[in-house]
Amino acid sequence: MSNDLVNVLDGNTFVVSDTRGDIEASPTDTTGLFSYDTRFLSEWVLTIDGKRLNPLSMDDLQYFETRFFLVPGTGTIYVNATLSVIRQRAVGLGFHEELTILNHDDKPVDISVRIDAGSDFADLFEIKDAKGKKGKYYHRIDKQHLLLGYERETFRRETSISSTAPAQFDEDGISFSLHIEPHSDWTTDLDVVTALLGWGETHAKPKYGREVRKARPDMHTSLETWLEAAPSVVTDWEPLRATYRRSLIDLAALRFSPPVSGGGSLPAAGLPWFMTIFGRDSILTSLQALPFAPELAATTIRSLAAWQGSRVDDFREEDPGRIVHELRYGETAAFEEQPHSPYYGNADATPLFVVLMDEYERWSGDTKLVQEHELEARAALAWIDEYADLQDNGYVSYQRRNEETGLENQCWKDSWDSISYRDGRLGAYPLATCELQGYAYDAKVRGARLARTVWKDPAYADQLDKQAADLKRRFNRDFWVADGQYYALALDGDGGQVDGLSSNIGHLLWSGIVDKSKAKAVAKHLMGPRLFSGWGVRTLAEGEGRFNPIGYHTGAVWPFDNSFIAWGLRRYGFKVEAARIAAGILDAADFFKGRLPEAFAGYERAFTAYPVEYPTACSPQAWSTGTPLLLLRTMLGLEPIGEHLVVDPALPNAIGHLALLDIPGRWGTIDAFGRGRVIVDAKPRLRPQLSDGPTGR
Amino acid sequence: MTDATSEFFERISKPSARPPLGTVTGTVRIDLDRGKATEHYLLTIDKGNISVSSENVKADATMHTDKALFDKLARGEANAMASVLRGLIAGEGDPKLLVLIQRLFPGPPNARTARTTATQEARPA
Repeated sequence: MSNDLVNVLDGNTFVVSDTRGDIEASPTDTTGLFSYDTRFLSEWVLTIDGKRLNPLSMDDLQYFETRFFLVPGTGTIYVNATLSVIRQRAVGLGFHEELTILNHDDKPVDISVRIDAGSDFADLFEIKDAKGKKGKYYHRIDKQHLLLGYERETFRRETSISSTAPAQFDEDGISFSLHIEPHSDWTTDLDVVTALLGWGETHAKPKYGREVRKARPDMHTSLETWLEAAPSVVTDWEPLRATYRRSLIDLAALRFSPPVSGGGSLPAAGLPWFMTIFGRDSILTSLQALPFAPELAATTIRSLAAWQGSRVDDFREEDPGRIVHELRYGETAAFEEQPHSPYYGNADATPLFVVLMDEYERWSGDTKLVQEHELEARAALAWIDEYADLQDNGYVSYQRRNEETGLENQCWKDSWDSISYRDGRLGAYPLATCELQGYAYDAKVRGARLARTVWKDPAYADQLDKQAADLKRRFNRDFWVADGQYYALALDGDGGQVDGLSSNIGHLLWSGIVDKSKAKAVAKHLMGPRLFSGWGVRTLAEGEGRFNPIGYHTGAVWPFDNSFIAWGLRRYGFKVEAARIAAGILDAADFFKGRLPEAFAGYERAFTAYPVEYPTACSPQAWSTGTPLLLLRTMLGLEPIGEHLVVDPALPNAIGHLALLDIPGRWGTIDAFGRGRVIVDAKPRLRPQLSDGPTGR
Repeated sequence: MTDATSEFFERISKPSARPPLGTVTGTVRIDLDRGKATEHYLLTIDKGNISVSSENVKADATMHTDKALFDKLARGEANAMASVLRGLIAGEGDPKLLVLIQRLFPGPPNARTARTTATQEARPA
């Protein structure tokens, strides 16, 4: 997204405008007021006496609120502006805009103020393609409202615009004829309210102003409460404090309350285009944030359980027990032009759902939630064996059934070219990527623990443990690339090894499927020059056929990937290596002002001296936001054991001390302290960074 | 002629070893327009076990649509969520219950599992 655009949002409602606060979207342009995956305003342009305004400055008050300071005039020269204009906009159920015009002159003024308003009601998925709409537009005007509507068969979406000050409404907008006294001002409150008809109200018109609350958000206090409730970081390495604060604020902005959550929030995948339930993203971000905001995990489990698959449906790639991939509310989902109602095409969220449930219980002690979701956990575990073993070889694989709009690669590396052999050939479907086997193994081990301790079904626990042990034994035999001493990226449709060297082997450490005897070789690869760039582990190793340092899943560095790799390294006792990864990624975060991008280029660190951002649509991205949180966990070596939290710090040396205070969990709250002791390699730097090595402290 | 809607309600009220709604408890009223008349089906869910009556009383959640669409849902020929988004089904009350009861509808009649797809297409016998 371009930097001169302004975003404000609340849940899945967001506004993208220019720096004047104006919206002037073309069919392919991404500005507008969006809610439930539909654009409800594509035009919202303010003029005074027919002239556009100029921006003086802009305050990002909160993630849901912005204030624009404007003056009339043209071009860059302000001719004695005696008027100034303030637009303060807050998002929530549409948006609320307080428009104020101040007359600084000692004479009264008579002006005409106009807001041109319009909507194309585009589906998010149509914007990139600029497809023509199949339905009809309509509008209604009365003394208090302008109503814009779109109708296709029984599908209806409406935008209602109203003003507190007297106004003239016409089908293209609102006009005000104003007389403002000297040194005086005029103000109006504009409400833009969005409505999905049929979503609770099929036959009636939306009752604006009565049943629908005014578009005013109620989130100001909850951001403060959110920040106060999180543990605090005390450290002598200032950038980490800033990064941590940025992460918490961004995570607050990424909270999304799906209707099924009963008011709780889960992490949506990314801002602004992915503000919806994504099984994989919500689970991984909840895992990263567990020591900081455990309620995200609880809401994720509840919401994903509600949407768990229950039948076989090829278009949606739904199976009984399968966890949802993506849920959308727009026109293309409604008319089944896209499968997102919801879509289930992923092979990892289902085992990860069980992993999250167990990890959440270990931290929170909330056995009630695990008891309540026994059925869904068992269904998820059954899916692994009954629906995901496509090749009858005891491994989880994927091959899409929806060949038109389904996803080809149903693992986190979901681009078309992500799964390749050393020589660059692409693997043939069905593909069993290695990390899927790790997740399945971990799900069975953790499911066994839950069966034993919470569901009181020792026979089931024994069965899962046995299956897990068998999977681990076979996996270490079939996926091990003997001449390279690492695990293959995948097994292909013929059972052959897709032998590219990739970051996926780090997730295997996290899952615990790696034989102890092989762990050292895996760690050596992860920290070796082909995978480790100095900032982090690349998605694909240098020297592979498809390696490209700016390839999305074929060489770029993904911060979230690295946070799980660091967790995996800690799991197998590689403290120094985990601290090196934390140092590299946190250094990169400082370059990005605390907000890690989804991915950055896999160039050697010494080559560029700063991390080169990979252009992506969404910022912040949920699992990048969660990365510094998981790295804090891995640096401090936090691990819940029974009723206690074990702390085993291993910090990069440039961090003299690090404390995390008031970590919530089954122990109440607890503090964790660490001192720097890991020396990470030193190379020329532009400024003091974590990886500088010994600092004399 | 068989009536898909009646068969559906008969099927879901049969006791099951693994009730599809798990431990859910609550009431859902389904109102079906049939010409000028409206039929009511009250689902009383007690820890996942469902009993069905024709009472027209207040429930934790209600779902309102026409009989023709419900027949399609009951046969797996229409999808509940897509129908809601199109404005063909009105839901009110507890959204979680509304999402959970859509589990009771079958999948499309011609669906194949990925497993059979993979064996047929990628690994011909």
